[in-house]
Amino acid sequence: MKSVNTIVIFLITFGYEVIYNDAPVLWQTGFQDPATPVMEGIINLHHDFIFFFILIFVFVLWILLRAIYFFNSRVNKVAINYSHGTLIELIWTIIPIMILMTIAVPSFALLYSIDEIINPAVTVKAVGHQWYWSYEYSDYIGENGEIINFDSYIIPEEDLEIGQFRLLEVDNRIIVPVNTHVRVIVTSADVIHSWAVPSLGVKCDGIPGRLNQISLFIKREGVYYGQCSELCGVNHGFIPIVVEAVPLDNYIDWIQKKLYA
Amino acid sequence: MSNLNSNLAIYNRHPFHLVDPSPWPFMASLSVLVFLFGLVSYLHGFKVGNFLFVFGLCILVLTSVVWWRDVIRESTYEGSHTVLVQLGLRYGIVLFIFSEVMLFISFFWAFFHSSLSPGVELGMIWPPQGISIFDPCQVPFLNTIILLLSGCTVTWAHHAIIHGNRNQGILALVFTILLALLFTGLQFYEYKIAPFCLSDGIYGSTFFITTGLHGLHVIVGTLFLLVCLVRLYNYQITAQHHFGFEAAAWYWHFVDVVWLFLFVSVYWWGGI
Amino acid sequence: MESLSTAPRDERFPHTNQTRNCWVRYVEWKLCEEKHGEEESECKKFGRWARALCPVDWIERWDEQRANGTFPGPSGESS
Repeated sequence: MKSVNTIVIFLITFGYEVIYNDAPVLWQTGFQDPATPVMEGIINLHHDFIFFFILIFVFVLWILLRAIYFFNSRVNKVAINYSHGTLIELIWTIIPIMILMTIAVPSFALLYSIDEIINPAVTVKAVGHQWYWSYEYSDYIGENGEIINFDSYIIPEEDLEIGQFRLLEVDNRIIVPVNTHVRVIVTSADVIHSWAVPSLGVKCDGIPGRLNQISLFIKREGVYYGQCSELCGVNHGFIPIVVEAVPLDNYIDWIQKKLYA
Repeated sequence: MSNLNSNLAIYNRHPFHLVDPSPWPFMASLSVLVFLFGLVSYLHGFKVGNFLFVFGLCILVLTSVVWWRDVIRESTYEGSHTVLVQLGLRYGIVLFIFSEVMLFISFFWAFFHSSLSPGVELGMIWPPQGISIFDPCQVPFLNTIILLLSGCTVTWAHHAIIHGNRNQGILALVFTILLALLFTGLQFYEYKIAPFCLSDGIYGSTFFITTGLHGLHVIVGTLFLLVCLVRLYNYQITAQHHFGFEAAAWYWHFVDVVWLFLFVSVYWWGGI
Repeated sequence: MESLSTAPRDERFPHTNQTRNCWVRYVEWKLCEEKHGEEESECKKFGRWARALCPVDWIERWDEQRANGTFPGPSGESS
């Protein structure tokens, strides 16, 4: 077992094989691996911010600990009776403002780049229901007016096969092509839901009577897992989302099969 | 004998008003419970709700009347409202009006939420497809002028009271109350001829909830001013001590300002 | 099946909320059909875009409303 691990680590290290993590793992505290430029941007932004946060955390902790150590009744028998200092208060107000304004710049840049819609080639509609998602691929109509329209339900625990994720697998995945601009229109048929997939860096509320648009540009093939992210009733935790990204040819095959099967 | 007079302010060694035991806070909370329980039951179609709602409301109004009668007695006959107590009353009224402002903000929020991005069911336009609305330049504009004028007459009454001119104070307050009644009457007339209703869509719902809540406040403000008129007539309001009147005037100006926002946003902007 | 295409990005609706985009495409589609007939290629294009943006349920409901004369948007008779 140990030798297998060593080989895997060796292969990963030298780029022969990369295993991406597109679903949550036990006790996970970090991100899942990004599959879209948006998620890469989010992770980079997070790491940039953490740099500032660590600096601030260490600095504030150092000041607090020094204050506790040097200024107490044992060390200072005579209390110092001043309660404010204008200069220090100005400094500790203006410097945080400048830090916040500095980190706001990349934050807004990322935010607006996420909202940007590049002319999409595919539109997928995700409609939230109590409690399942249904998907519509209305770009394609068969010769007799067939449309692609299906529901996506969770696979119950007792039906899971070896290797499948508990509470994350669905019976009908949505299939999208890789390296293609995809528009997802999220809405709901009853209460507010939220369509979210961490690896793709998307989380979009589905609101009845309203259509929200997000864009996907998936850079690699894979199966991406997500969950409803807006409390929508008792089975809120049991309507997962599975996105399967495939090459364009396979996508077209799948569409053909769906339309004419 | 000294024992009997022990709670009179002149014997106190502090400026505060330590209130006596009273049944009214208990009665008020109980009647609010019955009122709310009845209202919710009524809205859910329970038969008993109708009765409980009106019953609770009646007890609440009666309790308010006797409680505030006691407050007037404590102030006028017992002299409990010292300068410091009056300051507390000022803070109380200001906070009360602030809470009312927040209440109105929540209903304005509902209005703007619905009107700034109207749903597809409305034809994505505001006012919704097929709804004919009031012309803001007719009765609503007249009502705006009436309320602004009543704001002027209440200020006239305030100046008259400060200068100890009781006759003019009474005259100005009577004018204010007449204008307020005129406003309520015109609103009532508009409600009667409204071509939409509370339950036929979001336009009617937001319109009647916002203007209805305002109308309720106009009625309460009118009663408040009426009490001040009676007290002025009975020589209870003086040039030095008239916070009851000032509170009524603040409240009236608040009602006035809410109307201006209602007129500009619901009637005028909402009709463009 | 045609090559991959869908309703293009519309400069009039740059926001996340695309409700009005769907609504306008549907109204354009139906007005076009009333004016030029269902076989006109421009109308078919509008129809494709409207179907791409609007949920199937919405289009069904609006078609029903148009048949009943209760559709809240513009239609050929009123304009």
